[in-house]
This record gives sequence, structure tokens and C-alpha cells, in this order.
Amino acid sequence: MKSDKMIIPIGPQHPLLKEPIAFTLTVEGERVMEAGMRMGYVHRGIERLAQERSYVQTIHLVERVCGICSHVHATTYCQGVEALLGLEIPPRAQYLRALLCELERIHSHLLWLGVLGKNLGLDTIFMYAWRDREIVLDIMEDLSGGRVSHAINVIGGVRSDVDEAHCDEILRQLDLLTEPLARLVGLVEHERTLKARTQNVGHLSLEQIRRYCVVGPVARASGLDVDLRRDMPKAPYTDLSFKVITHTAGDVWARTLVRMQEAVESVRLCREILAQLPDGPISVKAKRRVPPGEVVSRAEAPRGELIYYIRSDGSEKPARLKIRTPTLTTLITLPEQLREVNMADVPAVLSGVDLCIACADR
Amino acid sequence: MTHSLETILEALQATFPALSLDTRAMLTDETVISVPGDVLTEVVGELIESFDFYHLTTITGLDTGEGLVLLYHFWNIHGLTLYVALPYTEARVPTLTELIPGVAMYEREIHEMLGVDFTGLETSAPFLLPDDWDDTLPLRKQAVESEDEV
Repeated sequence: MKSDKMIIPIGPQHPLLKEPIAFTLTVEGERVMEAGMRMGYVHRGIERLAQERSYVQTIHLVERVCGICSHVHATTYCQGVEALLGLEIPPRAQYLRALLCELERIHSHLLWLGVLGKNLGLDTIFMYAWRDREIVLDIMEDLSGGRVSHAINVIGGVRSDVDEAHCDEILRQLDLLTEPLARLVGLVEHERTLKARTQNVGHLSLEQIRRYCVVGPVARASGLDVDLRRDMPKAPYTDLSFKVITHTAGDVWARTLVRMQEAVESVRLCREILAQLPDGPISVKAKRRVPPGEVVSRAEAPRGELIYYIRSDGSEKPARLKIRTPTLTTLITLPEQLREVNMADVPAVLSGVDLCIACADR
Repeated sequence: MTHSLETILEALQATFPALSLDTRAMLTDETVISVPGDVLTEVVGELIESFDFYHLTTITGLDTGEGLVLLYHFWNIHGLTLYVALPYTEARVPTLTELIPGVAMYEREIHEMLGVDFTGLETSAPFLLPDDWDDTLPLRKQAVESEDEV
């Protein structure tokens, strides 16, 4: 029988994709021979918009880069502006920022596990992961007033504090999370259907990770031992102890395991942060005008290294704001990951990298 | 293995004696080296070969009003930024895709937003902007001014 090539478009609107991006798969029978990618469907010109807003307004703008890890964006931005202003923020504010960063990591990883389960047809995983994620969302809502957009950062610190009773309540809710998370880790380690669908799928070698400059859990699942919380530490991470989770398999399964174990580690970090929470003010007053200068601010977001470059010309608005989100580094590997895979494995490969298109497009 | 920044700077100066790599301190742990566009590939090659600076976090492109600037942000425990100044009339540098394939995304974005040509880079398809976008370069100062007039 003559073998025919067929072109199958996935996206920009497709039930598999939660956000718009287009893949063009050239398939021969069940095999993907080649994959093309087109992005930009949710490009909002945020970098240009920032040039027309004040430094304070820009906090709320950058929170909208990503609907999942909004807090780490605002934190990285504020860190940069504070460095330009020469401001040292109070230790209590540093701890509260980090607390929310870690909660966000748990929320992001659980959300992702749910999406992976859903895309693989394993709806039970989706149900459990998203049920347990509600606990984290409740904690974050109590802390900031918002489930995903927290608006808790101000230049010079944070805007809302916690008292002792509130800390106890957070600890009680974290206890509720411990057992479900342990069960999810066990599920990833032992569940046969999940392993059959994700092992040896979407493999990236350490060499490929380095060549494509991939970051975050995807890189760590291929054995790259890099985490900016440890390798470029800022307070309070200098005073906290945590394990950087790595794996060597480099497939979708290893990424799942790394993310789940990171979530467990983050719960532990949250407890440590609350136990060591220093007393004192939560913010210091910041000037509206920022002196001329340039700054590079880096942080470890749930998906990996996030970088902000801010240039000030001495006015009330940033002269240039550059954002590179971690998703962009994993997107570029997709055409390579999709090559030679079975058509039925495409959802696993696409889910495995934790697509966040709004982040990548900005 | 990581080297101290002083060692790296000294070695770069020694390898490229014809260049005056002037350094300036940038805020938050970032070291900046000014590099002329025509030796960029060699300098990056040396950074990767000798000092394991394989991780290019991103490239920032900006329009200062007097010309264009590309900032190549590298990371290997230290942050190291290569500063490449380009005149408007000759906004062209070689692509780094041969050395670092992951760089294509950043180069294509800068090509679209600021009109910098990366010699050897495939840029025929649009990257972030719509298919029917005109020739406006959104991050050029000129683009902001012409919009204000409307």
C-alpha cells in the first residue's frame, strides 16, 4: 500500500489546548514525521504597555503575564525595582513573599497534574489533583484576597500581614495537604496506566536540555541540577533548607515525579517559613521616581528560571521592561520532542512541558 | 566547574587582545561586558568552550533613542551580560543558533519587535505578531512617536 503523508493541525483552538497555540503535524500513518509551531495568539504587547505605565501600575500589569504564577512575576519585578531604588525590604516581607511563591508552586504543579491526567484520559487524576489544589487556593485567598491574582506585592514589601491565629490556620490547612500529596507521589511512582502512557515519551537528554537552554522541572527531570532558589539565593532562601529534586529519565513520567516531589518539598518549606517568620514591619516607603539604571532580576518560578530586565531613565515609567518566561525555553523543544512519536502520544508530550501560552506570548 | 568572574574577564581579554572589553558594574550581581557585533560569535564560543556558559537566559533588545542595543544575558552561577551596541543604519549581527539552538526564539522576537537582522536566521514566518501586521516595529521609539501623533 502506498504510504501517504497527512497534515493534521492542532490549534489554535483545540480541546487539548487550554490556551491558543497552533501545531502542524505531518504524519505518516500513526507516526509524526515533522512538527511546526506558530504562537502569538495571546500576544498582548505587555512589554510595550509597561513603557506607558508608572512603576506601581506595572506591578498589576506583570501579574497578568501569567494566570497561574502571577505572584512570582510581581515579586521578580518588584525585586528589580527595589534594587534600582537601593531599597532593602523588611525580612518579614521577604518571608511573606516567599510563602506565597511556594504556595503558588504547589498550586501550579497540582493544576498541571490535573491537566496531564485529563489530556491522557485519566480523569480520576484530574479530579483528585484539582480537589487537593483547592486547599492551596483557599490558603492563598485567605492570605491575599485572591485565588490566582494576589496583588500582595508593593514596591518596598507586601501589603497584607498575618497574625498568629492566621499562621495556625495555614498550618492546619497544610496538614490537610500532606496526605493527598503523598498519595499523588505514590500514584505517579506506581500507577501502571500513567507509567505506560508517560514513560519513554517526550524524551529529552541532558545534552539537548543544555543546547536549548531549558529550565525548571523539565530540565531537572533530565538531570540538570539547577534551581535558582539554591544557586542564586536571595533572602529568605539563604536561611531555609530544601532539596532540589532531580531525575535522570528525562521523559514525561520523570517530569511528573519531579513536579510532585517539588510540591511536597514546597509544603515543607511553607511550614519552615511560618516557623521562622520574623517580626517587624511588612513594607518600607518607596519613591515614585526611580533613578536611572539597569537591573536584571531572576527568580525560580514554578516552571523554572524567570528573568526581568528593567531599564530606568529617571522618570516615573520604566524605559524598557523585558520579560522572559520559563515556558518559552520548553516550547522550542516541542518540534524535536514531537518528531517520531506516535500520534496517540502527542497529548502526553504537549502536556509534559507544562504549556503556558499566555506566559510565552506576553 | 565554575570560574571566578575575574578569571573569565582576564581570559577573554587575553584571547581577544584587539578588543577593549570595557566592563561596567550593573546592579544585582550582573557583570556586563561590551562586545562589538562582529566578534560576538567568537566571544560566545569561547565563553561556552572554556567557561561552560552554555545557558543563555535570553536576549533583551532595546532602542535607546540613539541606537539599538542587544543584551545577551548568560548565566552560570554568576550572571554575565554581553552588551552589543548597533547603529540604526546597520542593525545586523550573526545568529547564534549554530552555538545555541535555543536562541532562535529570542532572535526572532527581536527581529520582529526591533528590526534587527540576525544573519543566517530563518525569519520568513511571523513569530508573535499577526499574519497581516504591517512593517511597524513595535518596540522602536519611532513607533511610539508616530502613534502619539494619531
